[in-house]
Order: sequence, then C-alpha cells, then structure tokens
Amino acid sequence: MGPKILSANWDVPGSHTLEVARSRGVYSRVAPALAMKPADITQVVKDSGLRGRGGAGFPTGMKWSFVPSKEKRGDKPVYLLCNADESEPGTFKDRYCMWLDPHLLIEGMIIAAWALDCHTAYIYIRGEFRFIQARLDEAVAEAYKAGLLGKNILGSGFDFDLHVHLGAGAYICGEETALISSLEGEKGQPKLKPPFPAVEGAWKAPTVVNNVETLAAVPWILEHGAAAYKALGTEKAPGTKLFSVSGHVNKPGVYEIPMGMPMRQFLDEVCGGVRGGKKLKAIIPGGSSVPVMTAAEVDLCSMDYESINQNAGSYLGSGGFIVMDETTDMVAALTNLLRFYAHESCGQCTPCREGCGWMYQILCRVRDGYATPEDLGTLRDLADNIHSKTICFFGASAAMPVQSFLTKFRDEFLERVQRPAAAVTVMASAPIPSAGA
Amino acid sequence: MAKVKINDTEIEVPNGTNMIEAAKLAGEEIPHYCYHPHLSIAGNCRMCLVETTTPRGPVLEIACNMQARDGLAIRTDTAQVLHMRKSVMEFLLVNHPLDCPICDQSGECRLQDYYMEHGQYDSRGLDPKVGKNKRQDIGDLIVLDAERCVQCSRCERFGDEVTGTGELRLMNRGDHTEIGMFPGDRLSHNYQGNLADICPVGALTNKDFRFQRRVWYLKETASVCTGCATGCNIQVCHQEGEVFRYLPRRNDQVNKSWMCDMGRLSYQEIAGLKRILKASVDGKAVEPDVATGEIATRIRAAGAAGVGFVLGTRATNEANWALLQMVRANVPGARIFVVEGNDGGQAAQGDTLLLSGDRNPNTAGARLLARHDGNVGDRLALLAALPELKLLVVLEDDVLGRLGAALPPVVFFGAFKNATAQAAAIVVPTAHPVEQDGSYINRQDRVQRVRRAVNPVGESAPAYVVVDRLGARLGKAPGTQMVAAAFNGMARAVERMRGLEFKGLGAEGRLLAPEAVTAVPGAEAST
Amino acid sequence: MSHGAVAHHPSRGPREWSPEQLAKIQVILAKYPTKQGAIMPVLWLAQDDFGWLDLDVMRLVARTLSIPPSHVHAVASFYTMFKKVPTGRYVIDVCQTLSCNLVGAEGIIAHLERILEPDAYGNSKDGLFTLHKVECLASCGSGPMMQVNDHFYEFLTPESVDQIVSGLRSGNPLPTPRPEANEWQWAPRS
Repeated sequence: MGPKILSANWDVPGSHTLEVARSRGVYSRVAPALAMKPADITQVVKDSGLRGRGGAGFPTGMKWSFVPSKEKRGDKPVYLLCNADESEPGTFKDRYCMWLDPHLLIEGMIIAAWALDCHTAYIYIRGEFRFIQARLDEAVAEAYKAGLLGKNILGSGFDFDLHVHLGAGAYICGEETALISSLEGEKGQPKLKPPFPAVEGAWKAPTVVNNVETLAAVPWILEHGAAAYKALGTEKAPGTKLFSVSGHVNKPGVYEIPMGMPMRQFLDEVCGGVRGGKKLKAIIPGGSSVPVMTAAEVDLCSMDYESINQNAGSYLGSGGFIVMDETTDMVAALTNLLRFYAHESCGQCTPCREGCGWMYQILCRVRDGYATPEDLGTLRDLADNIHSKTICFFGASAAMPVQSFLTKFRDEFLERVQRPAAAVTVMASAPIPSAGA
Repeated sequence: MAKVKINDTEIEVPNGTNMIEAAKLAGEEIPHYCYHPHLSIAGNCRMCLVETTTPRGPVLEIACNMQARDGLAIRTDTAQVLHMRKSVMEFLLVNHPLDCPICDQSGECRLQDYYMEHGQYDSRGLDPKVGKNKRQDIGDLIVLDAERCVQCSRCERFGDEVTGTGELRLMNRGDHTEIGMFPGDRLSHNYQGNLADICPVGALTNKDFRFQRRVWYLKETASVCTGCATGCNIQVCHQEGEVFRYLPRRNDQVNKSWMCDMGRLSYQEIAGLKRILKASVDGKAVEPDVATGEIATRIRAAGAAGVGFVLGTRATNEANWALLQMVRANVPGARIFVVEGNDGGQAAQGDTLLLSGDRNPNTAGARLLARHDGNVGDRLALLAALPELKLLVVLEDDVLGRLGAALPPVVFFGAFKNATAQAAAIVVPTAHPVEQDGSYINRQDRVQRVRRAVNPVGESAPAYVVVDRLGARLGKAPGTQMVAAAFNGMARAVERMRGLEFKGLGAEGRLLAPEAVTAVPGAEAST
Repeated sequence: MSHGAVAHHPSRGPREWSPEQLAKIQVILAKYPTKQGAIMPVLWLAQDDFGWLDLDVMRLVARTLSIPPSHVHAVASFYTMFKKVPTGRYVIDVCQTLSCNLVGAEGIIAHLERILEPDAYGNSKDGLFTLHKVECLASCGSGPMMQVNDHFYEFLTPESVDQIVSGLRSGNPLPTPRPEANEWQWAPRS
C-alpha cells in the first residue's frame, strides 16, 4: 500500500514515549530544519503540494506564506494552532496520531514554528479527548526535558513554547476561526473574514491553524524532499492520507493510503468490503458534512480531492469514510445527521441557527410519517437558503447532506411522505424533538 | 476617497466607509439587524446580504463587513438578494412568538417593517417553536423577553463596548441561543434605556414606556436634552401636547446614538409637580402681566445701584441675550452676574461617557455672553455685592442654593420650583425647553437648537418673551419676541458666534469659533 | 446533554480557591497572553475540584480572571462538557451519531436506559450514574461506544455494557481501557 508516513510507528510498542519515538527517527528532522532558512522550509512544503487534512484541502505552504513578514506585522507574535478538535462525524484519525505518535506531531510543530517565526503554539484538543490530553501533556513534558521545546531548542537559539488547550464539547470549534475564539476564552463562534487568521487571528496576531495530520506529515516531507512526497498520490493531491472507516464495513479503522486509490478497491481490499456480504447503498466519503455518494458513484471515484468532486459532486473532506449497506434507512440516517447539526450550530448566523433545528424537525416528521410532499420542498429550500449564506462553512455542512440525500435517494423520501395513512400534518401529534435532548 | 457603485448609482465616499452607510448616501436602504454604526461589526443577522462581483462571478456578501474601496460595486436589487431577504425573514420568524398585539415594539419593529417590505410569504412553520424566558425584570428601566430576540448581539456589544459592563450575553447555542443576564444580576448603569433603543425588536423594552402609547400615534420633534452640559441630541416623542419619551437622536459629534437614563427620564418633569404654572407676587397668584408690572415698579424703586440681575446657566442663549440687552438699555449701571454650579448647591458626579458633572445645559452660553458683555460678575462678585442689593432678578437658576447665602428680595423667572423660586417675592413662569424654540451651547462649545414640541403649560412663556415684556414695561423692549431674530442679533454682536444663523444650526448644531488665544486686553471691547 | 435553558440549583455557598488551586491557576495564566484566555482551563479545574459549576463557582472564576460573570456563564453554557447541574459520580456519554447509529447505538442506548432508568436529567435512581446521549466522540470505527467520565468504552454489546455498569456499581470498575497499539484498527467482534 505504499510507504507509511503518518502511521509508521503506530504498531511499535511504546511508540508514544520519547525513547521509542527517537529510536524510530522522530525528532531527527528538527536539527536539520533549524539549520535551514525559514522561508526555505515553507518553500519545500509548498513544493510538496501538501494540502490541509482537516477537510478543506487548502495548500499548506500557501497558508503559511500568508503570514505577514516581520516588517509588516511589527511587534505582533505569530501563533501556530494545531487543530486537534477532531469532531467531524465519521472522523477519528487525529485521535490515533496523537495517541500513538504524539512526538511526531510535536516534531512537525517545531518545524512549522521555525518556518513561521512562531514562538508560542497551542494544540487545541477536543474536551472528550482528556485521556489523550494526558498523554500529550506527558509527551510535551518529555520534549521540554530533552531540550526539544522551550528556550534555545537544541542549542539553536530558537525558543518555542507548546501548550495543550482542552476544549469542552463543541463541534464548531474545529472551524479555524471558532477555534481561535474558543482559545481566546470566548464562546466558540466563528469570526468574520476578512480579516483572515493569517493576518489577524488569535489575540489579533497572525495565526496559522493546521490539522494534526497536516503537521505530522511535515517532518517526512522535510526529510525526503518535496519530490518524494509528490511522487506519492496524484498530481493535484500528492502524498498519503489517513482515512477513518466506519459503518457497515468488515474492517472499520484508520488506514493510511496514497491518494488516488480507486474507491471500490479501497472499500473491498483495504476495508474488507461491506459487512455481512450485503450490497453497498451509499458512502459518505469525507465526514458527515459532505454530499452522500451512491454505490454507482463509488465505482467512478478514486480517493482524492478532484476525483470525488468531479465524479460524484462530493468532497474528500477529512477522510471520514462512512459506509452504508442496502438495509440503511436513508431518511433515518439524514434525520440522525440533522440532529447533530441542530445540536452543534453555534447560534450566530440567522439561517443556520434557526434553519438547522427547523430542518431537523421537518425530518423527524418525514421519518415518522407526519409529513407531506410540500415539506420536502420546504426542506430543500431551507438547505439552499442556508448553504453559503453564513459566516462559516457550518451552514453548508448542514445543507449538503440534506441536498444530496434528497436528490440521490429521492424515492425513499417520497415514499415516506406519500403513504396516505400517515401523510397528515397534525402539529399536536408531531414529535417535539429538542435539539438539546 | 473611493468611487463605489450601488446598483446604478456611482458615488464618492471616504475610503473604508461601511457599505451600509455608503448605500444610504446613495439613497439605498440596506435592511439590517445586527449592524449599528456605533458598535463593532458582528455580521450575524445576514439581512444585509448584497451581491458583488468577484472573479468567480456574482456572490452574496454582507454589506456590513464591506468597506468602500475604489471600484467596489454592489447590487441590492437582484433576484438573489431579494430572495435571501425573504429567506432570512422566514428564519427569523420561525421561532418568533408573534405577540405583536401586546408588544410595545409594534410600529417600530424591524421584524414587522422588514416583513412588510421584504418578507410577505405564507408561513411554512408547522413545527413547535422554541420556548424561552419571557418578562424578565433585568434593570430599573428594562424588561427582557428572550423569545422575541433575534440574537443580533447589539445589546451584548453595547455592554462590552460602550458601558464596559458586559452584563448581557447570548447563552447556549443553536436555536436555543438565548439572551440573558447572569442569574440574579441586574443592570446598574445609567445607560439602560439605550438597550431598548438599539434592540431592533421587542426583546428589550423600556419599562417607563411600556403600555403607554402605540408608537404610531407619537410625533417626533428634534431637540436637545437639557439635563447636563453635554446636550445629547434627542427626539421628543409626544402626542396631543403630552410628552411620552425622549429618544437619543444620532449626532456623531456629541452623543453618537446614546443618552443617559437621567436625561431620558427627565421628560417626566415637563408635566411634573415641580413646574411653576402661575405667576405670583408675594405669594399671591396674579396674571403674568400684573407680575411684570410689579417687577418694573420694584426695579425702579431699587434703582440701578440696588438691583442685580443673574443670567441663567439653565436658560437659553436667547433668554440670556434678552436679559443682557434689556438691562443695558433700561437699567444702565445695574450689575449683572452669572453664578455657576448646580441647583441645590450639591456637587454632581459626571461619568466618562456622556453625563457631565455640570447639570446645566448652557453654562458655556452664559459664560460666552458674560465674556461678551465684559462686565458680568461671578459668584464671588455677587457675594460681595449682596449687602448693597435691594432686589435680585434671577433667570432660571437656583442662585440661593448655589450661593448658600441669604438673598435680598428675589424676582424669579423660571420653569421649576427650586429653592430660589420658593423664596422669591415675585415669580413668573417660563417655558420648558420642549415648549419653546431656542439654543444652548454645550460643553464642547457647540450651539444646538431646541424646538417647540408642545405648548407651554399654564401661564408660562419662553423666557426671552417674558424678559422682552419686562423691557417694554421699563421703557425699551429688547425685541426678542421672535427667537430667530433674537439669535441672529446675538450672533452678529458676539464675536465667537459670528456667521451663525438660527436656521443654519441644522440637526447637529454648529461649533463656536475658537476663542482668540492671544487677545490683547481691551482689544475685544474695541471691535 | 442539554444546551437548553440552564437549570439553576440552590447555592452551595460562596467559594474560594485553595492555595493549591491558586498555584495551578498561576501556571495556567502563564500560558495565555490574556487572563480571559484561561477561562476554559480554569473552568475545567473548578469542575474537577468542585464537582460542577454552580453560580458561585462561576462568580469565583469571573473574579479570578477579571471578566464579567455573565461571560463565564455564557461560555459554560456554550460547551456541553461543562456541568451546569450536578451529575452522578459516573457520567455516561453514549454516542448516537450516524456511524455508531449504523452499527447499533440505538440498541445500546435502549439497554442503558433499561438498566439505569434515568430521570429527565439523565440521573439514575441510585444517583451513581448520569446518562447523556451525545453527538460524535470520534470513535466511529469502534462503535457502538460510550465515554464514562474520561474514558472510552468501545465495540459495546448489551453484555459488555452490563459488565461495565455492574463493575462500576460494585465499586470494582473495569480496568481503564486504553486503545493501545494493535488495538486501534479493526478488532474482531464476537
């Protein structure tokens, strides 16, 4: 399946300790990096074609290059934030990166910090990962002790402090500006752009937010060079990617594969195929927020950004690969997802705040047989009116599942609203779901 | 400057001008809830989405977060924009209680206004609404109904950015987002009324105004608050001769969009128990004309050396000018004073926001005219002169309280029964600032107008009219019956007012010319 | 767990920090350029030590960080893991989102409700447990799953749930599960 860049040490006992990590080459790229010019590191990352692994797939080197030069930013520090708020349903890769190889992440952050002239960084980890936070804290302490963090790293004169910040239960904090708000001690609500974080982020200073997997890929790229990374994967999506596989599949788990593997091959060979020999009905390829794909579309796609987008109108996203077999009730599945979005909307922008809960209520009625065909029209309208009308991408994330489920599995929805006995709209008998319950 | 285009209108505005403001200048009203010119940008209501052209084609963006730059073009009239306004209205109303019949915001509610203008759809909301806390008493002036809230966060930002007290917060999230206070806490600042003003809907309402009048019956008259030397610009809201509330009126140079509660509630005194309704001589009610005649008699009896006059720091410029002219023409040699300080003689606290420790609306005006006359004494001069005075004629101010010394018999022209009025031998009622036209000069040296909103109560009349009548009795009326003529005459005479015209004071007032710093002693008198 | 209207319980009395807590807060404050930045770690500290965040605790945090109490209240209400009401000793957060749902979370939730008989707040009759149905915990490949206090229990079956719950009830909790190497990937299910 190609070289392991991110998961190479996962099977090694004690991989989370500094001793084992060092024996596996972790931190060996720090000294060479600190001998390089910061701009050269950014250039290597740019040349490698590494794209943000949090979901948006934005070129990492370009993101780094948006940070204003020292002359322009004056006394302001630069902050590097590692987005470890992993909370996109269907995604659980960063959890393993941090649990099984925390030092690789720290190494990546040291190198990125040097490239960005950053002296303070935070790992924002979701509140539900307290057991992982404990391990990260240990790793950070070990690194400080070994002179890999703190003042004058490895005698290079470079000072770099790394703190672990624990969230407390809010999906939206995975959105980079919401993460910044949360770190600043606000409610985790996204901020208006412009200004962009690279110019005015945490505490109004230039800030780069990178996903765990993105940062963990940096040491390998530096060691092996941009060309070696580009040699993996596809032209526009180089390198390897971690995929989190869940749902009706024989071997759920996290897999590192080079970008571009045919999706069907990935499903059948890597993931062991659909559970119980059932037929595939649908796949959500990039975490719950991306449009759903039909089984037919699966055959057209390979595991990279462009192929999924061009052939199925969906996105690779965070690589949360949710498999649904022929028995799946698509109406119930969508209702389940909308409960999630209604619960997690930060409540800032009108369309998303009011619309997510509303869509969920309509879907509950559809699921339970108290809806009419007009309700499906309303649902569709609401999704369209939320999509990209809000400050952040959450609105679109809630709208895309609705739009795609309604389009691609239209019959199942129509059947639910056309059963004559149930097709009545009686408010009193409709369920009263609470987004908070 | 930047050339921007709103629909088909091209205008030039300063670089960085907010596009909602730029559109206003171009005659295009962009609907909005969360945007407020004197608060930071939140961008959450999404009502101001407009279309702009990018390399990727036309996209919707919020106008409130767009700053004018050369070449920027927006459209507010495309199908997409109109559709989204309708859609945002639908989202806002899906959990709104629609209790308009019992809501005091009715008539000045943006949900109502924008629904009529941009909504106009049949409701598709079949599902139960989210319930929230209603009728919460959160301060002396404010009632909060969280169900009516549209989560625009204006009140939150007001508390954070204007008063710095940060009491109101949007809590929870999603459609359970709810505005509220820390449980058990209450608003304690002097600017609560502004919260009701900036709330675009009926979530925060003013207790003082609740259930008093439907707003569509009210007429508004632009005026100035006379509660202190700041002179916040206000609208006087009245119906059939009765004033129901003051609202702050935007003046970026003076009060932005705010006013303090003390000033806001000061409308209550217009028809309050402290108003002087009738003229009286030695405790007996008489016709004002009779009182005026008696004053003239007593002034003559006292003689120029025995009578003193006090200009009012609470009186209009026109009244002070009338008195000055009247005295110089009819009682030459009589002494004139200005006694600064607060009525009752108590020092008052100001704050760093708007409220001034000087609770008089026209200290600067009285000072200016005293300077102009060149021969007006101050508090100490009056104290020194007291033994020689047989009669003291006072305009509005509580000289007794301010001086803290026994006065000779007093003639009092004023609107309120202060200590001086109560001790006075003769009293003639004058009009309240909302009952007359005139001008005041605030502590920034800004000349601002009050306008007659309601008729003077009882037998009162504007002080410049009362003084003019007294002048006529003494032989020579100063000719200040007509306020514009009084002002313009004064402006021609007083150096720092030169060039000002009563009609030209406009909605935002005009600054006095700066004081001449290197004035040669005596030079002022010769000009 | 609810992010609806915050329920307010009677005061447990005004709070003060112990010297040990103050020392920890100093360490936390040093990590952030503003005092407000420390609000989440300080709330975590308060929750760990005081059990849950009543209004007096929130006031204490506000005073410590020189921010309005309303802000502490708003932040606490925004995040689901900050406890605004008291809970049992063991908080069971069971995932109900799609991936877990596809592999049987509903049955696990029904089973938990059967054996815990939670009230409206999710508290079990014996007060030992509080059951919350929560959204995705990033354990999608190992569902159905639940989090008990800080730890994940994965690949749940009604039998394993019984074992976990009775272990906690008897005061002999199961060893804390650790997703060690080699366990992270596909684990065969019985």
